Amino acid sequence: MNNGELALLNDYLVVGAILFGLGVIGFLSRRNMIVMFLAVEMMLQGVSLSLVAWGRFYNDLAGQILVLFIIAVAACEAAIALALILVLFYRRGTLDVIAWQDLREADQPPYAEEEFPEGPEEVPPRWPSLTPAGRPPETPRPQTDYRPHV
Amino acid sequence: MFEIKTLLVLIPALPLAAFVVTAALGKKVLRQRSHVPLVAALAAAFLASLGLLAQVYRQSQQAPDAGPAPGHESAAYEKIVPLWTWAVVGNAYTAGEGKLLAGPAESRDFRIEVVLRADPLTAVMLVVVTLVSLLVAVYSIGYMHGDPGYWRFFTYIALFVFSMTMLVSVSNFVLLYVFWEAVGLCSYLLIGFWFQKPEAAAAGKKAFLVNRVGDSGFALGVFLIWITYGTLNFHDVKVAPDPRAPERTVVYHDPADVQNANLAGTQFGGVLGRTTLDNMAEHPRLYHGAALVAICLLLMLGACGKSAQLPLHVWLPDAMEGPTPVSALIHAATMVTAGVYMVARCAPLFAASPQARQVVAVIGGATALMAAIVAVTQTDLKRILAYSTISQLGYMFLAMGTGTLLGVAAGMFHLVTHAFFKALLFLGAGSVMHATGGVIDIRRLGGLRRVMPVTCATFLVGALGLAGIVPLAGFWSKDAILQAVRQEGTAGSGSTLYAALYVAALFTALLTAFYTFRAFFLTFYGPTRIPPEAGRHAHESPRVMTVPLVVLAVGTVVVGALLEWNRVLERFLARTPSISFLEGAAHAAHSEPGFDWSIAAASTLVAVAGIGLAGALYLAMPALLEQLTATMKAVGLYALSAGKFFFDPIYSLLIVRPLEGLARLSAWADRVAIDGLVDRIGGLPPALGSALRPFQPGLIPFYALAMLLGLLVLLGTMLI
Amino acid sequence: MIDPRRIIMVAALLGAVGIWLLLPRGKVRGRLLGLALGAVGLGLLASQMPGLGDWVAQSLFAVLAAVTVVSAAAAITLRNPVYCAIWFGMSLLGTAGLLLFQGAQFLAVATVVVYAGAILVIFLFLLMLAEPGGRAPYDRVTWEGLVSAFAGAFIAGILSMTVTSVLAPRAGSIELSQWEPVEPPVAVTDQQRQQGILADNHMQQIGGALFDGRQPTREGQSPKPGYLIAVEVAGVLLLAALVGAAVIVGRGRQALSGPRVEPAGSPSPGGPPDE
Repeated sequence: MNNGELALLNDYLVVGAILFGLGVIGFLSRRNMIVMFLAVEMMLQGVSLSLVAWGRFYNDLAGQILVLFIIAVAACEAAIALALILVLFYRRGTLDVIAWQDLREADQPPYAEEEFPEGPEEVPPRWPSLTPAGRPPETPRPQTDYRPHV
Repeated sequence: MFEIKTLLVLIPALPLAAFVVTAALGKKVLRQRSHVPLVAALAAAFLASLGLLAQVYRQSQQAPDAGPAPGHESAAYEKIVPLWTWAVVGNAYTAGEGKLLAGPAESRDFRIEVVLRADPLTAVMLVVVTLVSLLVAVYSIGYMHGDPGYWRFFTYIALFVFSMTMLVSVSNFVLLYVFWEAVGLCSYLLIGFWFQKPEAAAAGKKAFLVNRVGDSGFALGVFLIWITYGTLNFHDVKVAPDPRAPERTVVYHDPADVQNANLAGTQFGGVLGRTTLDNMAEHPRLYHGAALVAICLLLMLGACGKSAQLPLHVWLPDAMEGPTPVSALIHAATMVTAGVYMVARCAPLFAASPQARQVVAVIGGATALMAAIVAVTQTDLKRILAYSTISQLGYMFLAMGTGTLLGVAAGMFHLVTHAFFKALLFLGAGSVMHATGGVIDIRRLGGLRRVMPVTCATFLVGALGLAGIVPLAGFWSKDAILQAVRQEGTAGSGSTLYAALYVAALFTALLTAFYTFRAFFLTFYGPTRIPPEAGRHAHESPRVMTVPLVVLAVGTVVVGALLEWNRVLERFLARTPSISFLEGAAHAAHSEPGFDWSIAAASTLVAVAGIGLAGALYLAMPALLEQLTATMKAVGLYALSAGKFFFDPIYSLLIVRPLEGLARLSAWADRVAIDGLVDRIGGLPPALGSALRPFQPGLIPFYALAMLLGLLVLLGTMLI
Repeated sequence: MIDPRRIIMVAALLGAVGIWLLLPRGKVRGRLLGLALGAVGLGLLASQMPGLGDWVAQSLFAVLAAVTVVSAAAAITLRNPVYCAIWFGMSLLGTAGLLLFQGAQFLAVATVVVYAGAILVIFLFLLMLAEPGGRAPYDRVTWEGLVSAFAGAFIAGILSMTVTSVLAPRAGSIELSQWEPVEPPVAVTDQQRQQGILADNHMQQIGGALFDGRQPTREGQSPKPGYLIAVEVAGVLLLAALVGAAVIVGRGRQALSGPRVEPAGSPSPGGPPDE
């Protein structure tokens, strides 16, 4: 075995492991469903790197071919997952994964946060102001933040 | 058609068939006609038993007479009818030290064979049982008329008659025990017939439990018999002659049996055939001594329970809660005589152990005296008759306790006559109850002879019979008993005991006459008082009830003289294989031919004195009665008598309360400890589940974390 | 010398703490410290990696790896989910670069096109749909941050330790000059070209390997199989996913006519807005 090959493999595997680990952390600790899914995709990236490195090491293109398949499958999975997340969002109106606790045991109390930490203050946007001329423009009906339909 | 075998099987089979039919069809189909199968079966069984008696008599008379030297050979007759083998345990009894079998290689099976026997004792008992049952069944048609449990009554009576006839017909101890229990069961069912009444249910339970105490003694006796003798049959026919035994009894078997088994001149085996009466010290292998005394006492315990002797007599007065025909049939004539029958059957055993015999006699005499004392102050007519029954049974056991042929025959004679007049008295009391609407307290009745003359007349006949006035039945049988006791009192071992018992028996006869006629005069004489419960019922009973009364009255008059003529009964019973041993006993004395005038005079005097005293006190001189009562109360005798010698409170305190406490303790332990343990074990899975439940909070990140941690453990073990 | 595994373990721990501090925990404190710790950890880990021999290659690889890892860390620790998505895209670019470094050009481009171009865009669509107003409260908290950080660090650390201890030739640091250069991917020899094995056009290589198993091999290696059936299955899978996604969303819409939990402040269609 060539030292260089070993070193290359080693480096790639470590990077892949780090990506995978970061994906795990993201999946476990975030509560936004989309960010959780993002972390899953990150894990897939780490695995892809590892696979390509192994394929290079053994001089077998199977590693890269598997990564190709991973990309295809990840695409399918993303489609379905995001469709499901959309439907779930319509149900509860939130992307919070904690909102879905219905599968708990019968006499377990639901997990509820006492209070959320405050976010940064909403800075009202400063719009450029024009010198008033003529009639004030008709402002359309205020847009609500929440659009029920896409 | 009418050979002994058929008749013997038919007599129990007919009531059994009636039982099955009435049980199956009684409730829906037969209803108020439920008596039909039973009465028909009992009539047929009675005729069959008469036929059996005739056949057995004829066959037994053909047996050769006893040899010239008294005490060495006697003749007996039996006919064995084997039906089927119930159970066999192979090689269950092996010879060994202290056991009866000859050598080390001999061993025996434990066999329970359903075998019926026909011999004089059985035949006599069967006639008595079937006749009284038939008359009681006919009487019940009228007495139980309209009762909602009519069919149930006759079902139980049928079962009882079947059990009783089988009891006297079987030929080994195991089956005897089986039917012993069966009659106890029927007694329980019938006492508690009106089970909604709490006193009746309690009385039924008490009867059964007290019987149980006696039955446990009986069972222990049977176990001891098995260990000692290696067989449980009364007489094992096929036994090789044992040359060491000095007694040889010639048995005349049925010719068919003789041809089959070449049994002429065979010595008896079996439990009742191994006991010798002479030269016991020379033959230690033939059992006597401590084992035999123990066996006899245990058997006597069983008899005490069944026949209501001291100290297990407490159930019989309470058993009067049952319908009066039940009292007449079971607690006067048949079931309570099962104990007497058993002691008569085991006469050889008792005869060979003087200590047991004396215990039996003492028990009988003491019971007779005690019951008579109690009966003097009772106010319930049926209770008076119940104590009277206990007293007369005491007489019978007293007679059995003499251990002589005369005594045993006298006891059986008294059994027969007592069946007649006691059943008559009870049925008469039932007739009174029928007329007065269920009131049987003699303080509230009076002068009923004007209202119900037939009942009065038959009751008088029964009372005279009970008191022992010549020529009625009680006179002859009571005299026979007194004669047997006095003979033992003048000769042989323990003569002082028997002499004392003789005096006690005479005094008891006085009391018997007194309380019987006290009841009679208070009920039927004096001013006519009819309690208001009678309504419009105060009239003579219907024919279906009075005809049995008349039949029994005729029997009371006739039977005594008939059976004493030429000592017919005694000689007939002497042909029973087990009783025939007694004839050869050295110390036994045949009853002298001829009539014993002194005893007759004594007993008649005593009876007339009792009747006179009762009549004087209760009819003519109420003032004297008051004085006498006050004196008795002052002395304390009145309280003793009215409190029934305080047996019930003593038992309650010594036995019932501790057992109740134990039962409560057990219930507490069961509830708290055992149920608690089970509950706690049963609570383990839910507890485990509760502990594991927080693992399913429904939170997806939690699930993911758990899954990952598991994966990490795996990874760690594989990579590190 | 200190066992490299110990150093890696320490690096992993430092990285864990750093990530934990970086995670959105409601208050903005500690992010700088987390950043520092994360950098230190990453540096420690990188010091244990064997060098690639050629300093050009080494530095190129280092840059690409750093971009990937830092972007990934940012993608999971920022509060605004849109920012997360954007940084994820950056991480994807880093990954694509690393794939290019390995000579897998087609894969690199496919990654960018499919992941960054399609999946990421769908993410952004959904995010825009769901919370165009800005930050939701649940984005500001984490669930069991410490345990997650240590779990992830454990995984990365374990793998790194194992890999390094197996693959690094000897304990201790390796002089760069002692490394031999990496061999380039196997080139197609003229003989093989005449036999019909394709030139080293990566797409053609992948295609040949997929359908026929035609791969350039070294001496002594066994011939490789093709993956035709897998391709077909993948196609079917894509079709199923397409149809499935449409159905799910369509059915989900129909079910909306039933009971539905409205978030506060949203207007019911056609009705007056409730305050």
